[in-house]
Amino acid sequence: MGKTEGCKGLTKKYLPLVLTPKEFKFLFFSKVFVSSVLSVLSVANKGFRMQKYITEQNLNTLLDKLIAEGKRVVAPRMNAGTPLYEPLKNSGEIIIDQLPRRSGKEAFFPLCEDIMSYTKEGQKVELKDIDPSRFPETVLVGVRPCDAAAIPVLDAVFSWDYKDEFFLERRKKTTIVGLACTKADDACFCTAVGLSPSDTKGSDLFLTPLEGGGYACETFSDKGETLINSHAGLFSEPNNAKTVALAEPGTEAFDLQKVKAWLDEHFEDPAWDSIATRCVGCGACAFVCPACHCFDIVDEGTEKSGKRRKNWDACGFWKFTHHASGHNPRDQQPKRYRNRIMHKFKYYDDKFGQTLCTGCGRCIRLCPVGIDIAAIVEEISKK
Amino acid sequence: MHPEKLKHDFEPKIIAFVCTWCTYAGADLAGTSRMQYPANVRVLKFPCTGRIDPVFILKAFQQGADGVLVSGCHPGDCHYIAGNFHARRRFAAFRKLLEFVGVDLERLQFSWVSAAEGGKWVEVVTDLTEKVRNMGPMTEFKELALEEQWSGTIDTPELKEAYNAI
Amino acid sequence: MTQTIDTTIYAAVSEAIQAEAKRILTAGEVTAVVGYAAARRKGSAQPIVITSAVDAQKLIFTPACVNNLAVYLTKAKKEIPKSGRIGIVVKGCDLKALVGLMGESQLKREQLYLIGVPCAGVLASTIQPDTGLTSDSIAPKCLECDAHLPQGCDFVPTQTPVSPELEKKYAAEIARLEALTPQERWAYWKEQFSKCIKCYACRQVCPFCFCEQCLCDRNKPQMVDTTPRPAGNTAWHIVRAMHLAGRCAGCAECERVCPMDIPLNLLNRKMAKELKELYDYEAGFQVNDKGPLNSYTEKDDQSFIK
Repeated sequence: MGKTEGCKGLTKKYLPLVLTPKEFKFLFFSKVFVSSVLSVLSVANKGFRMQKYITEQNLNTLLDKLIAEGKRVVAPRMNAGTPLYEPLKNSGEIIIDQLPRRSGKEAFFPLCEDIMSYTKEGQKVELKDIDPSRFPETVLVGVRPCDAAAIPVLDAVFSWDYKDEFFLERRKKTTIVGLACTKADDACFCTAVGLSPSDTKGSDLFLTPLEGGGYACETFSDKGETLINSHAGLFSEPNNAKTVALAEPGTEAFDLQKVKAWLDEHFEDPAWDSIATRCVGCGACAFVCPACHCFDIVDEGTEKSGKRRKNWDACGFWKFTHHASGHNPRDQQPKRYRNRIMHKFKYYDDKFGQTLCTGCGRCIRLCPVGIDIAAIVEEISKK
Repeated sequence: MHPEKLKHDFEPKIIAFVCTWCTYAGADLAGTSRMQYPANVRVLKFPCTGRIDPVFILKAFQQGADGVLVSGCHPGDCHYIAGNFHARRRFAAFRKLLEFVGVDLERLQFSWVSAAEGGKWVEVVTDLTEKVRNMGPMTEFKELALEEQWSGTIDTPELKEAYNAI
Repeated sequence: MTQTIDTTIYAAVSEAIQAEAKRILTAGEVTAVVGYAAARRKGSAQPIVITSAVDAQKLIFTPACVNNLAVYLTKAKKEIPKSGRIGIVVKGCDLKALVGLMGESQLKREQLYLIGVPCAGVLASTIQPDTGLTSDSIAPKCLECDAHLPQGCDFVPTQTPVSPELEKKYAAEIARLEALTPQERWAYWKEQFSKCIKCYACRQVCPFCFCEQCLCDRNKPQMVDTTPRPAGNTAWHIVRAMHLAGRCAGCAECERVCPMDIPLNLLNRKMAKELKELYDYEAGFQVNDKGPLNSYTEKDDQSFIK
């Protein structure tokens, strides 16, 4: 396990499982089955469309050109000592050897954004919507596979019963340039949730570092092709250089079906207490997660004028489910933590046939009290 | 008749948090004695300086104050016996904190003004107003109020307008 | 120059903690013990609450035992049973927080069974948990530690921690910031606070943030903007530092857990330094009924008041 390189990682997750008749029946009639068949087909259809090669120097030139064109180029950079996805002033700022502390979801689902403003003058009240056409054209560069893979997962919820124009418009205006991952630690577990350090899911253009320098480029969408075609001079034909050694997360693959089957039956279970009594109820895990997408809407301002704002929220907070009556249905921390696991590995699967976790490991590294979601899922899969 | 008013380029907004028993009465005395003091000061009355939470001062700066005055009874004169003694320690600490995050302490004034000190009230308010006038507007918090996280930023002409409105 | 810090005593300390936990749970002296247990990642540890003597063998003490467990005894943590006497594993810095909580009538000494840890230091945040303890990997708070051996505990393993003299990072950084102009300091903190995402990890791990409802979670009135914009972030961090002034025991949990690396303990240390100078107050092992900001003398300095 853990040896995943190039296409091997891609195909591995679609290998047929060995199933008992009961499991087969369960699988066959579940939405999960249908959707996984669909996703196999779509990946097979997608494949890459175009293959190119770019040198490191030309990649930097490309970024500088994009910036000069007025595009917002968002990539990992250092901000006061912390690696974060942020707009670059020039290509020299990009850092590619560290996983940014926050995920790439921020480009579509900002930490905080205005959704409306109001002014009141005497009896006259004026409401003003945000014009999504003013969202900047963005190129998101150097996105790790675990971050990029979360974006199509988020598409499902943001274009479900209500079409969230803020998310979808930003999504439309953003080109995602993925980057194969060369470094993993023992908190990484992308391979355990069916992804890999070279997974191209979510990327419009995908870069794989090559031995001897430069990157192999593969496109997966019109956006990716447009990016290459508009700066064709910076790209050359693929050379046959070998891929540098990619990261090898050491966590064994989870049996997500089995985990879900347990979750289906164990909303009430003493295990939640032993798992989550230690949780102190902050929002760190949800905020650094590439797939968590809960938000709150607040009005800020004065009687005369102000803004309605949408900002990140987290199910770990006591206030998250606090009713106006004073009642709180999730009155204790284990109930809140249970929701986190249920949402990621059961509810989202029930609704959209996908898992709301891409194994980036951020929540494990940053949990104030060392809660390890990989250990918990592993524990559940053994029950 | 009012004496002719001097025209200034900049009229600072001064917020005064005062205790009702001493400073408010002192300001009242200044008024009834027909003493003149700058109209820049907006007075907010509290039961005691002990009730004035440091977060009020912060809020005042955030809402656009250029200077803040906190004033109450002289030590020993507190209507509630020790409210101002507690306030004294709290504000001594809060000043140090504001200074450490980079707020210019010249914009924040504390004073003891009794009900009999109409003249001192005029002096304190005038001094602070002139001092802040010379310093110019408090821009730090105003600029901060308009800053967005990069991910939520959209360039709009209203930004400038909103800044001026604070 | 990197100095290695000797943590060889931790193995014996772990054994002693296990034995003592087993003894007090078996004898029924306590209903539960809050301590540290190993977690999945190599060398990692996480808090654990055990209620039976067989689980005592799970307890460990390693450089990855970074948490201040005192937070689990506050009324903010409703999940932990508060009936009967509770055992708790404490480092010196953690004990100061417990002492502070006793001073604020949040805990009673007789309800606690304190298992003190002779501690040479623990790891800094975002350090891989299996890293060896050196002057580079050690938590910054440990560089200024004056409490390697907790005092007044019910049980302390006999080992003596070896603690070399290390460069004091907070003192140096505070001095550096103090020497800047207000504008430069404002720029420094603006950059730092702008990173804040309002995850409130700093509040949730703080033993002293035990309010039933935080001022910043209330909206009548809304004193602090809740959105994670630079304005609301700055207000939150100023309010947080002020509410902890004179109470903070220096465990630096706020800074350790910050996912955005905001140097929050600098604010706490600065306030501690000022309160020491002004009112000669320092967090320690002695329970005080009154802190510096809920007491006064008639002769307090008022040179800043007109």
